[in-house]
Amino acid sequence: MNELIAKAKYLLSSKTVDVVIGYGKGSGKYARAEFIRKLDDADKMIYNETCIQNLATYVQKHEVKHLGKIAIVANNYTLRSLLVLASEFQFTEGQVLALYITPENKIVEMPDFKSIEDHLATVDTGLKPDEKEIVDRIEKMTVAERWDFWQKEFAKCFKCFACRSSCPLCYCTKCMTESNQPQWIPVAASDLGNMEWHIMRAMHLAGRCVNCGDCARACPMDIPLNLLTYNLIEGIEKDFGAKAGMKATDISTLSTFKPDDKENFIK
Amino acid sequence: MAEFEPKIVAFVCNWCTYAGADLTGTSRIKYAANVKIIRFPCTGRIDFMLLLKAFANGADGIIVSGCHPNDCHYTYGNFHARRRWMIFRKLIDFAGIDINRISFNWVSAAEGARWAEVVNTTVETVRKLGPYENYKQVALSIYDQEDKTHE
Amino acid sequence: MSKIGVFVCHCGENISATVDCEKVAETISKLPGVALSMDYKYMCSDPGQTIIKEAIKEHNLDGVVVAACSPRMHEPTFRKACAEGGLNQYLCEMANIREHCSWVHPRENSTTEKAIDIVRTMVEKVKRNAPLESIKVPVTKKAMVIGGGVAGIQAALDIANAGHKVVMIERDPSIGGHMSQLSETFPTLDCSQCILTPRMVEVAQHPNITLISYAEVESLEGFIGNFKVKVRKKSKSLDEKLCTGCGLCTTKCPNKKIPNEFERGLGFRPAIYVPFPQAVPNKPVIDKKNCTYYTKGKCRICEKVCPTGAIRFDQPDEIVDIEVGAIVLCTGFDVKKPDFFPEYGYGKYKDVIDGLQFERLASASGPTQGVIRRPSDGEIPKKVVFIACAGSRDPAKGIEYCSKICCMYTAKHAMLYKHKVHEGTPYVFYMDIRAGGKMYEEFVRRAIVEDETQYIRGRVSTVYEKNGKLIVKGVDTLMNGRLVEIEADLVVLATAGVANDGAEDLAQKLHVSYDSYKFFAEAHPKLKPVETNTAGIFLAGACQAPKDIPESVAAASGAAVKVCGLFANNELTREPLIAIVNREAPPLYSNCVGCFMCQTVCPYQAIEREEVKDRSGKVIKTLAYINPGLCQGCGTCVALCRSKSIDLLGYTNDQVYTEVMALLND
Repeated sequence: MNELIAKAKYLLSSKTVDVVIGYGKGSGKYARAEFIRKLDDADKMIYNETCIQNLATYVQKHEVKHLGKIAIVANNYTLRSLLVLASEFQFTEGQVLALYITPENKIVEMPDFKSIEDHLATVDTGLKPDEKEIVDRIEKMTVAERWDFWQKEFAKCFKCFACRSSCPLCYCTKCMTESNQPQWIPVAASDLGNMEWHIMRAMHLAGRCVNCGDCARACPMDIPLNLLTYNLIEGIEKDFGAKAGMKATDISTLSTFKPDDKENFIK
Repeated sequence: MAEFEPKIVAFVCNWCTYAGADLTGTSRIKYAANVKIIRFPCTGRIDFMLLLKAFANGADGIIVSGCHPNDCHYTYGNFHARRRWMIFRKLIDFAGIDINRISFNWVSAAEGARWAEVVNTTVETVRKLGPYENYKQVALSIYDQEDKTHE
Repeated sequence: MSKIGVFVCHCGENISATVDCEKVAETISKLPGVALSMDYKYMCSDPGQTIIKEAIKEHNLDGVVVAACSPRMHEPTFRKACAEGGLNQYLCEMANIREHCSWVHPRENSTTEKAIDIVRTMVEKVKRNAPLESIKVPVTKKAMVIGGGVAGIQAALDIANAGHKVVMIERDPSIGGHMSQLSETFPTLDCSQCILTPRMVEVAQHPNITLISYAEVESLEGFIGNFKVKVRKKSKSLDEKLCTGCGLCTTKCPNKKIPNEFERGLGFRPAIYVPFPQAVPNKPVIDKKNCTYYTKGKCRICEKVCPTGAIRFDQPDEIVDIEVGAIVLCTGFDVKKPDFFPEYGYGKYKDVIDGLQFERLASASGPTQGVIRRPSDGEIPKKVVFIACAGSRDPAKGIEYCSKICCMYTAKHAMLYKHKVHEGTPYVFYMDIRAGGKMYEEFVRRAIVEDETQYIRGRVSTVYEKNGKLIVKGVDTLMNGRLVEIEADLVVLATAGVANDGAEDLAQKLHVSYDSYKFFAEAHPKLKPVETNTAGIFLAGACQAPKDIPESVAAASGAAVKVCGLFANNELTREPLIAIVNREAPPLYSNCVGCFMCQTVCPYQAIEREEVKDRSGKVIKTLAYINPGLCQGCGTCVALCRSKSIDLLGYTNDQVYTEVMALLND
């Protein structure tokens, strides 16, 4: 998109940012990420319906972070991911400049948290109806059926950890699977280890996941990982009224509590 | 055929439930022997993974118990734990793990009789549910992998 | 390889009656890492403990498991024995095979098997125990008492008399609090100021106490033993060193019509004023909001007449830094204005007053010199109606709780009135009479029998004025709900005691918890009534909940002793079973990614931010750091940390994981 390329060139040449993260032509059905540091490279940038990857994950990668100030092409999910990262003190205001592309292909610059928050307040970023329908369908199964369904899915996993790499919120320098005293989660692929990995990863995303779906898209075995998080998002919104990534000062659901949290299973 | 004796692990907090279980002992109230207790300073310390690990190592049922809300020795640990369980329970239920095998309770240091009741009720519930074969099968898969490499 | 010593106790017959102790010892001896496994009749006895000490030396043990009663019973005993035997005390654990096993199961194989499982679990845990040393935190032996009412005064005197330095901060120009506003106190009818002012003077003159009045806490940093408090000394517009307290300025000030807070609005004071004649310090302050110079730029008469030239109009507020080791909160309470009961006419009718205003009327140094007069026309009332529970015990309009002191002071007011107006009749409309203290019930009886107070059990529905009288309409429930109508000359409302204004702000500055009524929260309602959850900050008096003078004084002394206990050593020793954040070599520095979810959950604000800088001073990473002086070891942060960067000593991830594995696997 020409405006985007021009904007990128302007931002780089005026030294407003040191790198622009955008989309470029990929080899598969989705666009890939491009890291534009030189003006000529900006011509590689595209923006079309293949551009759905959540680029916020790159903000946390060490190789990108040390480059300096970052501009990033953003959709609503990216914006929410950025706010979650900000609420976890992973970058300071002004370090990241979001370039939101509207459905009409206009670029909106969002240099600070308030602009992002104000914008997100106007859009509906909840679970879509088809997503809700899938979750309902699984919830209606019996426990045994659900067990079989997930065991079949987890059997496909061979622990490539692409899901972890693609998620903006999986930024721990040493992931829990890499702890070996004790070895909480076996690293190699096995039925038990796969199940433990996926359940624990979903649990670590409780109250933080913004439902961008990159994990499912990145999985080479097409495991529907985002279903686990859909269920979490739905549950958290219902029980606690919380939605991740709406304000830069949000505190995650898991680290807060209300004295009158209602549960019906503790006797 | 011998009756199935479930193996139950109890994760309890030191200040309330452990003390309550001590009181059960001091009062000589008898209860089922299937439950073995692991002591934590607070329910807030209980990592979610421990529950999964318990099942993976052969537990058929789990008891998690701590101080009543507002009574936590560390003021808020049990509130955080409660919120975690609310979320975790939904997640593992969605993933197909049998949450009827996990019993969450608040047992205070004065509730010796209640602890016995909690234990007995949980043992009976899990006995009816039978051994947690599903999970045990999956747990054995780790050893399967190792065997395969030696072939 | 570990060398664990396992000692299985018979506990007389308590354990051996149902558990085969020899079998337990024998089975455990076969575990790898167990150097010695034996059983004995009474491990906690002297010979039993000696066995452990000798075994440590003989077998060079690096861990001890005593399989016996509950650790809540004898863990300190065995830990001490191990320390005396030369083994770090935190390498000793107890396996509970009595309360959790032998006492609750019958004599069967399964009971012995369970005992073996329990001991095996603890052996595996102890293999992963690390030697730990108690944490030592230095202590600044100076206390700060915030609030100069009777509780604050008592606490300050107790701490000062024990030989420690105290700084007392009081928000008002004088100390004394509400007790200085009372005329006489129940149940002795002692003159309130007579018993309080000697104490107030003692505080001012005590060599160990520094009194800073007209000051407030600005901010607090630090932790127990090491608090750094910033105090704002509000400008009194006065050079205190020059002022002699002669009071000439207060007589010459032309602006005399400011409602007097001390008299609860029943009298007036000038703009430069001393709150009451017995004030300590007895030096005036200028009320900047009402002084003609500060508002309009004119006057300055006080400056002209002052014989020592002590007035300083341009004196700014001063912020001072004070380092203290402990803080006692005695900020007291306030009386809620009963204007939320429009049916009682407070604010509408001048002769409807609240309890504290009645105290001022009854007080010899009050606006009427101790004569009970109606505020409207100064006449002496012949019939006074006291309405109890005017605001308390009322979820609909007022406060849900009981304000505790009103039954007693209402009886007292009735008695004082009757003593002063012999031909008068006091009436009290009550719901219940709460007179639980020593000599309290007898006191109320005196009011009823000797002083002929008419107690009517029922509520008042309305008070309205008619022909100069206040018509009080109520009901007498002990007479089958008979309607009662009294033509009163004065109505006194026993209104609710509430948290002092500004309590919430102060609590937030000090990180002290408070409840929905803004009363400060005690650490445990039964067993720790004078401590808060913030280590080093103690509570006394009505700021915690409504209470009377003896209870406030008792609490203050209790808090003082806690402070003295803290100051008894130069260092604070704490159990080292706390959380720590892992640290590694550069460039990683730590697994911690600085998300600070741990900081949000910590109930004790023990988690701080530590900046890791490179040689040029640039910040590379911000990591979580746990203050060893504050962490209480609950482990909530440990379970929450996604990257497993925090661990809890004594209950490390490794230990806990091993316990689960060992418990289930044979």
